[in-house]
Amino acid sequence: MAHSQDKHSALGQGVTIFIYLAILTLLEYFVAVSFNATSLLVVMAVSKAALVMYYYMHIYKLGADDGADPHSYAYKTGTNRFGLWLFLLSDGFVFAGLLATRINLLGFTRPHQLSQILGLGVTAVLLISSFFMNRGETAMKYGDRKGFMLNTAITFLLGLGFFIGVIFVEWRLAAAEGLTASFGNPADGPMGAVFYIMTGMHAFHVLTGLIFLYVVWNNARKGVYTAEKHWGVEAAAVYWHFVDLVWIFFYPALYLIGTAV
Amino acid sequence: MGHFGIVGILVILMTVLTYFGLDAAGLAKQMHPVAASAQAASIDQLWHWEMMVISFLFSLIVVPMVYSLAVFRQKKGELKDGEHIEGNTQLEITWTVIPLFTVIAFAYFGAYSLGEVRRVDPDAFVVNVQARQFSWTFEYPEYGVVSTELHLPVGRQVVLKMESADVIHSFWVPEFRVKQDVVPGRVTEYRITPTKEGSYKVRCAELCGVSHAYMENKVIVDSQAQYEAWVAEQVKLAAEAQTPEGQGKLLATKNACVGCHSADGTAMTGPTWFNLYGSQVSLADGSTVTADEAFLTESIRDPNASIVATFASPSVMPPYPQLTDEEIANIIAYIKTLK
Amino acid sequence: MKNMNPFWRGMLALLVFSLAGYGVGLGLDVLVDGKVNFSGPVPGVFALFFGFTAFFLGVFGYRGITRGLVWQVVGTLIGGLFVALIRLVMGLPAFGDFFFTEPSWVFGGLTGVLSFIVGVGVVDDWIKWARGLDTPEHHEEHYSDWRKYFGVSVDHKVIGVQYTVTALLLIAVGGLFALIFRTELAASKLQFLTDQTQLFGQNGPQLFNTLMSLHGMIMIVSILLGISGIINYVVPLLLGAQDMAFPRLNAFSYWIAVPAAVLLLSSLFLGGFDTGWTGYPPLSARAPVGMQMFFLGVFVAGWSSVLSALNVLVTVVRMRSVGMTAMKMPIFVWASVATSLIALTATQFIGLSFQLVMFQRLFGMGFFDAAKGGNPILFQHLFWFYSHPAVYVFVLPGLGVISELLPVFVRKPLFGYRWVAMSSLGIALVGFLVWAHHMFTSGMNEYLRVPFMYSTLLVAVPTGVKFFSWVATIWKGRISTPTPMLFALGAIVVFLLGGLTGPPNATVSTDLHLHDTYFIVGHFHDTIFGGFVFPFFAALYYWFPKATGRRMNETLGKIHFWLMTPSFLFLTLGMMYVGLIGMRRRIVDYDPALLIDGWHLALTVSAFLIAISVLVFFYNFFYSIKNGEKAEGNLWHSRSPEWQVPSPMPVHNYDRPFEVVGEPYDYGLNDAGYVKFIESAGGKHG
Ligand code: HEA
Ligand code: HEA
Ligand code: HEC
Ligand code: CUA
Ligand SMILES: [Cu+2]
Repeated sequence: MAHSQDKHSALGQGVTIFIYLAILTLLEYFVAVSFNATSLLVVMAVSKAALVMYYYMHIYKLGADDGADPHSYAYKTGTNRFGLWLFLLSDGFVFAGLLATRINLLGFTRPHQLSQILGLGVTAVLLISSFFMNRGETAMKYGDRKGFMLNTAITFLLGLGFFIGVIFVEWRLAAAEGLTASFGNPADGPMGAVFYIMTGMHAFHVLTGLIFLYVVWNNARKGVYTAEKHWGVEAAAVYWHFVDLVWIFFYPALYLIGTAV
Repeated sequence: MGHFGIVGILVILMTVLTYFGLDAAGLAKQMHPVAASAQAASIDQLWHWEMMVISFLFSLIVVPMVYSLAVFRQKKGELKDGEHIEGNTQLEITWTVIPLFTVIAFAYFGAYSLGEVRRVDPDAFVVNVQARQFSWTFEYPEYGVVSTELHLPVGRQVVLKMESADVIHSFWVPEFRVKQDVVPGRVTEYRITPTKEGSYKVRCAELCGVSHAYMENKVIVDSQAQYEAWVAEQVKLAAEAQTPEGQGKLLATKNACVGCHSADGTAMTGPTWFNLYGSQVSLADGSTVTADEAFLTESIRDPNASIVATFASPSVMPPYPQLTDEEIANIIAYIKTLK
Repeated sequence: MKNMNPFWRGMLALLVFSLAGYGVGLGLDVLVDGKVNFSGPVPGVFALFFGFTAFFLGVFGYRGITRGLVWQVVGTLIGGLFVALIRLVMGLPAFGDFFFTEPSWVFGGLTGVLSFIVGVGVVDDWIKWARGLDTPEHHEEHYSDWRKYFGVSVDHKVIGVQYTVTALLLIAVGGLFALIFRTELAASKLQFLTDQTQLFGQNGPQLFNTLMSLHGMIMIVSILLGISGIINYVVPLLLGAQDMAFPRLNAFSYWIAVPAAVLLLSSLFLGGFDTGWTGYPPLSARAPVGMQMFFLGVFVAGWSSVLSALNVLVTVVRMRSVGMTAMKMPIFVWASVATSLIALTATQFIGLSFQLVMFQRLFGMGFFDAAKGGNPILFQHLFWFYSHPAVYVFVLPGLGVISELLPVFVRKPLFGYRWVAMSSLGIALVGFLVWAHHMFTSGMNEYLRVPFMYSTLLVAVPTGVKFFSWVATIWKGRISTPTPMLFALGAIVVFLLGGLTGPPNATVSTDLHLHDTYFIVGHFHDTIFGGFVFPFFAALYYWFPKATGRRMNETLGKIHFWLMTPSFLFLTLGMMYVGLIGMRRRIVDYDPALLIDGWHLALTVSAFLIAISVLVFFYNFFYSIKNGEKAEGNLWHSRSPEWQVPSPMPVHNYDRPFEVVGEPYDYGLNDAGYVKFIESAGGKHG
């Protein structure tokens, strides 16, 4: 199991999972462009989500035995971890609500103005950032502070790239193609509204994730974390993967499902 | 007799009392007010059944509680513990399963009753309903008649096809029992078979703004003969209304201006049109203008351009972009006649 | 000034500064509009903000809540001016009808809340953590007397009291609003809030709508704070924990509720709004700016609710004493868990639904605008997906209080503990599947109505289990009826009435008549009073000695009960009656032809009687804090752990940890109790 590995195999596992995720993402893309199979897309998204939750977010740690001493660091970390997951559950409802809104308003149609290549591009960037996040966290777990800082810096830059790609490239391109959130233009329909709220809300979470990453990176620089005590790093990593997890559902919901109109 | 026996008898007694109490208030066998539609009959029947069950359940809980309070009291200054009873699985299962069946029965009869209410009569005729802040207009497509009163013949099913021009409203005639929201962007349907002649009111049941309370129009259930006479009269009136004033009056009805502006000086949501033309109107900004064609046209085109004194700003009057210049002129021609 | 009583010093400051604020407001109006408007909203807002803040300044000095409020005012102004500046640059009008334009108010409202949080000092530690610094586990309080309640404290007992008192204040404000609009309803036609009335830029009927809507939402927020108050105070004590799992988060949850309440109230001054607490678009997309403040206030209050629910769940799972297995937890803990599960998840939906309307208003995004292809009914689904489960958030803790108190006062075990515990979870889970019963007439898809009728009625089953178990608990007990017990018993009867009027609403065809009438208003006042207000009072009378070491006056308590209960029963049964006859909800005036003027007059009178009884309670509450009869021991002879140590509760809760050795409600057995304190475990524990 994951928690009794050595560093090398832990990193190797990260690579394997990343390859699975990358293949699934490409499959999704090709399924969507070649034939219309929503249920297949749902299955693939759920599989990706499961992989991320298990191997990158270590959901199984929730059931770990943290010992009996409520004052120990391990026990407190277990408490914190449970709190964080509850927070993510709650936050997940926001995104579930947005998905419900999208399904209600758009049904099996999607905005045709979006650039497929760009969509796949930013998705890939976010996925790769998750991969580096995992490497960073693993490094910290084995006390490798330098490795952590390097990988987190890469994650941060990729995240920034995603943010810029969505807000400053995709939003502009889509608007240029005629998809707007309608400043008083009744002809726009709900497409633009749904697209901007979904990507906007997700981007807001990316932004908070970036701040979080910067904080832990900076603290690592100051030497706050050790192999035994690095709850902050774990939290930042889990949060970052969560942002990726949301995108695993938002990407097909915006770019792949249904027919483009 | 043991405690159980006494409580059992009291529960039955209390149930009967509650039921007859409700009945005495006129609330058991029917809802209020009088039922005036075929749908109401089946709704009231469900209600009657529910009141019986509720009378019983209320007694079932309250009687043993009050009985215990009276009989098993701690004496003053005493501090004794009661019997150590932790529970009883059979009892728990009983009072899970019996209510479960009761609610399934509730739902079953509820669904049945809903089926009755929704039953479609193939002979039903159609009236188109427009709801807007804060009044209703009714259009009879068969006759080309538009009216602010809904006239219905007794005994014949009608389908109201309802549309809203602005926000959500809800069509409710208490005597018909049934209620249906009117939602912008879609047509909702209201099916009713009036069974009792009389004059009722449709009362808007969904908060729709300041004058929501006053969004009430007359609903009149006529005998077949009366109904036909009314239709004939309306057709005649519509035919006569070929003059600009006549057209204006029709437009004022159709666009529900008359929901806010009276023709006889009565105070309503908006200023009355009686003696309006040519009068001096004081505005909210302190100035005074003469109500001539130009001012009236502007007031209709852009209600916020000048707000009449004592009325709220922004104006509750909606803009009417769909009105043509000619139509506005006709309305003003009609306003001129109101002296 | 120095040696003046802090309270009067505060009142003096309030007077002076609200006048000053009024003046500043007038001045700003003149600056922007070029004319003086004495009844305009701006001077009102400034008077309120200045006065309110100055009161705390006088009482408490410039720290804690005072600093928060000052920062909120300044933050709002800066945020608003910032947007005004941007608009100026973009060539848009920088100022609007209510001084700022709508975008300015929304952004300013948000920056105001953030400023409050920073100003009050509740995020200090987190900022230190983010900078890699350590903070001490325990903070020494700045004050040890009553003034500690006015600043940030991480002690769950202090926070519990803060929540509770805030909730009581909000109940008073919401109740006051009810009294105002009930006065207008005492007779048909407009007499009190007429077309000529002008206040805060609204005429009588507009004011009615604003007050009615705010009454609903302020009361609901006060419930959320009230249950948090009881849960915060009691749950860690029942578990034997030293504090909540995340004390700082706990303080944070409380302190964001304060600016949220300020925002909610500010909507009254910014043109109000006329949609009811449900805020349905398209009406809410057209209402004045006040609507946005309402949305924003609820949104922030929602986060308070989410975060405190999270805290409760983690505390219960991670912080129980040795030996306290799930089935040995006091029953109130189960209720708190069920409530928190709902609050944690569903709350996001009301936040989202309101947020979408806010965006629709600000950016023209047509989510719910039919003209743009949006769907007004979608809002109702999102809204009720929270707001139905929310009603169980309101009542589950209350029902937990009933289950917790009954065994103590009948001196018998809680009948069927497991079933009662599981019924809370049952209600919570089934409660997620019933939301569309508020939409039977909405024009949603026809075929949804029957399944939602079935699921709704299903809730009656676990609720029934509670009722039957309560009756069986009382049966053959040895009953005494001090004030807390009276309120618990009153709660059962009132909630029963509310619950039993649920099924007629739930069966679609009868609901077609009942929907949006006073029958519904009667139904939910009964459920809310029975499920929250009565149990809340019961809990206050019951745990008051634990918090203060003194008890509240019994005679006044009984007057409170015997005045409130009959008046209240008359109020709600009367509401149901007029509702059946044809009295619609949310109307400022009703048709005299309905012949219900007499009824309405009586309803208004009973509303005032309830208010008087609540005033008696307020007097009793504040008087007894200092002057009540001393009660430091196990006043109610309870077996619950918190009563096994002297009152008031020590600062760090239990000096010695305890171990659970029995069942929580073993009344009638004379051997060992529920908990046993562990000797010499080295003193402290967590
Ligand atoms: C504290 C809050 C609370 C609680 C607990 C409830 C409980 C219930 N409510 Fe209520 N409700 C509200 C607060 C609450 N409600 C509010 C605020 C509104 C209006 C919102 C608005 O529009 O502003 C509302 C509106 C409302 C509606 C919408 C009405 C309309 O607008 O048209 C409906 C419809 O189904 C409904 C049903 C029910 C039912 C079936 C229950 C059930 O949970 C009741 C279950 C309890 C019992 C049934 C009694 C005890 C049980 C037994 C003794 C066992 C045996 C019983 C049977 C076999 C029946 N409620
Ligand atoms: C906790 C919830 C709660 C509580 C306690 C109450 C309490 C009361 N409610 Fe309320 N009510 C709601 C929740 C609640 N209500 C909701 C959710 C709505 C729906 C709103 C909507 O439709 O959108 C509603 C709607 C509502 C209506 C329908 C309005 C309409 O549709 O037009 C009415 C009408 O009579 C009413 C009356 C009352 C009365 C008379 C009380 C009385 O019990 C009040 C008694 C008075 C007090 C408790 C205050 C006493 C204190 C003082 C007088 C001290 C004042 C001093 C200081 C300020 C320091 N309520
Ligand atoms: C929702 C209520 C409402 C409706 C519907 C309505 N009005 Fe008005 N109207 C008002 C109010 C309130 C005022 C006064 C405030 C103002 O000046 O805008 C007003 C003012 C006016 C005035 C200026 C009257 C004066 O005394 O100077 C005219 C003319 C007018 N309306 C015409 C119309 C016409 C024509 C229609 C229908 C096509 C109509 N109104 C529909 C509420 C309404
Ligand atoms: Cu239309 Cu209320
Ligand atoms: Cu509900």
